[in-house]
Amino acid sequence: MTENVHVISAAMIPFAKYRTSSYVGLAVPPLIDALRSAGVDKSEVDAVYVGHSYGGMMTGQRICKEIGLGDVPTVNVDNACSSGATAIHEASTAIAQGLIDIAVVIGVEKLTQFGGGALPLSPEDREVKQGIIMPAVYAMRATRYLYETEATAEDLALVSVKARKHGALNPFAQFRKEVTVEEVLASRAVADPLTLLMCCPTGDGAAVVVLASERARKRLGTSGGMRIAASVLHSGHVEEGFRDMTRPEISSRSAQDAYAQAGIEPKDLDMIELHDAFSIAELVYYEAFGLAERGHAADLIRDGKTTFGGSVVVNPSGGLLAKGHPVGASGVAQVAEAFWQLSGQAGDRQVDDARWAMTHVTGGGTAGLDHGACTIHIFEAA
Amino acid sequence: MKTETAAKASAAIADMENDDLLSAFPEGPRLLGTRCGDCGREMIGTRVVCSSCVSSNVGTIALPTTGTLYSFTRLHVGGEGIRPLGYVDLDNDVRTLADIREGDTPLEPGIRVELGVDGENWFFAREASETKGHHHD
Ligand SMILES: [Zn+2]
Repeated sequence: MTENVHVISAAMIPFAKYRTSSYVGLAVPPLIDALRSAGVDKSEVDAVYVGHSYGGMMTGQRICKEIGLGDVPTVNVDNACSSGATAIHEASTAIAQGLIDIAVVIGVEKLTQFGGGALPLSPEDREVKQGIIMPAVYAMRATRYLYETEATAEDLALVSVKARKHGALNPFAQFRKEVTVEEVLASRAVADPLTLLMCCPTGDGAAVVVLASERARKRLGTSGGMRIAASVLHSGHVEEGFRDMTRPEISSRSAQDAYAQAGIEPKDLDMIELHDAFSIAELVYYEAFGLAERGHAADLIRDGKTTFGGSVVVNPSGGLLAKGHPVGASGVAQVAEAFWQLSGQAGDRQVDDARWAMTHVTGGGTAGLDHGACTIHIFEAA
Repeated sequence: MKTETAAKASAAIADMENDDLLSAFPEGPRLLGTRCGDCGREMIGTRVVCSSCVSSNVGTIALPTTGTLYSFTRLHVGGEGIRPLGYVDLDNDVRTLADIREGDTPLEPGIRVELGVDGENWFFAREASETKGHHHD
């Protein structure tokens, strides 16, 4: 990067089911809070980037006009689960190149509009026509992973137990009740071997972060916050034949690039917010990120290495499994969590002496691809 | 850069005209595939361009009826009852999503499977000669 880019404020509404709120109703309050907390007047904003997948036309403009924020470019971004993080990547790139000084990034989604069930995928996709849904994709990853390694269904359950334990400490989480391995395994079957408590919930949410150049940060007199040490976006690559579903190439490649950009190694990370849409994902990503050797991800979860007091706290917020997963909002909410953790504002779930954080979202069910998009960011406390 | 005296219009692909994967071939009902005449890559479905070398010199083929079950799930949501669904790696290295029919022996990754047709529906099931615990991966 040519210029240092900083996250100078974050705000979000707790993820939940807000049946009487529109995209505007979800996003305007954190937008106002993030600007106030940054000490930025709306006239100082150079550009707005808005991640969402199901908001419809001009979602960003509909939100911003409510506070009279206009004129400057507003960019609406759809990259499925990576929408919000892609918006951050675009904002960060524009600041790093010196094109703008202050950007507002909004991630917002209202999944209750669909009434529940699996996420609607593109009806034009070949496998969607055949009946694929995201729980089935992750379930097939799980079946194969359990077949190839010593991991068991209990390990999949342990991921959910950890997520709920963390979520119980997070006032922004959709689920704040702890669960046991027995409860996870006994919950309703969704797609074998995944049970309901191994799947992220349907919900609504919005999160906002303000990004600033070094110059703007000095002008505003901001201290603390965090520096963006790496911002990486990759797209999936088609495979017509064999694909190893237990080694997600797009996430591995993105992580390697992010470590190289930041100049750090996996062991340097104090916390990670990763894309645990289904519990199997967390195990597979431990390996993709170099936290565990091939086939040994379950050791980390069994030994408590990825909870508070462990070597790296994974999903201190509760992750998608407990905090919730309003698709376009998730990537921005992860960065908000990193911001609060690295600036010592995470309350009961504070990771001790957190200096380095990584966030990861990947998504989009598309035939022939591991995932459509993957975004990884690494942050250093400023 | 190629220069023309008048810009040529690109042509849309009528890929929604027929999106059935199962089709009648002289040898019987088979899944439709496409073979690239230039690089030899074989792909699922009807394509007009090769995803590997971008050649338009492609033609329809009947895909193999046998393959290896890469993975599967038994889906309990989104429809009535339980729906076993899996990825089958056909013998020409083309992967297809498929309904999997369960037999007396439980499914497991790595088993050999073959195409079955039941009216308009198609599925893969354990090969008749396959025995339990006999892996091919
Ligand atoms: Zn070709």
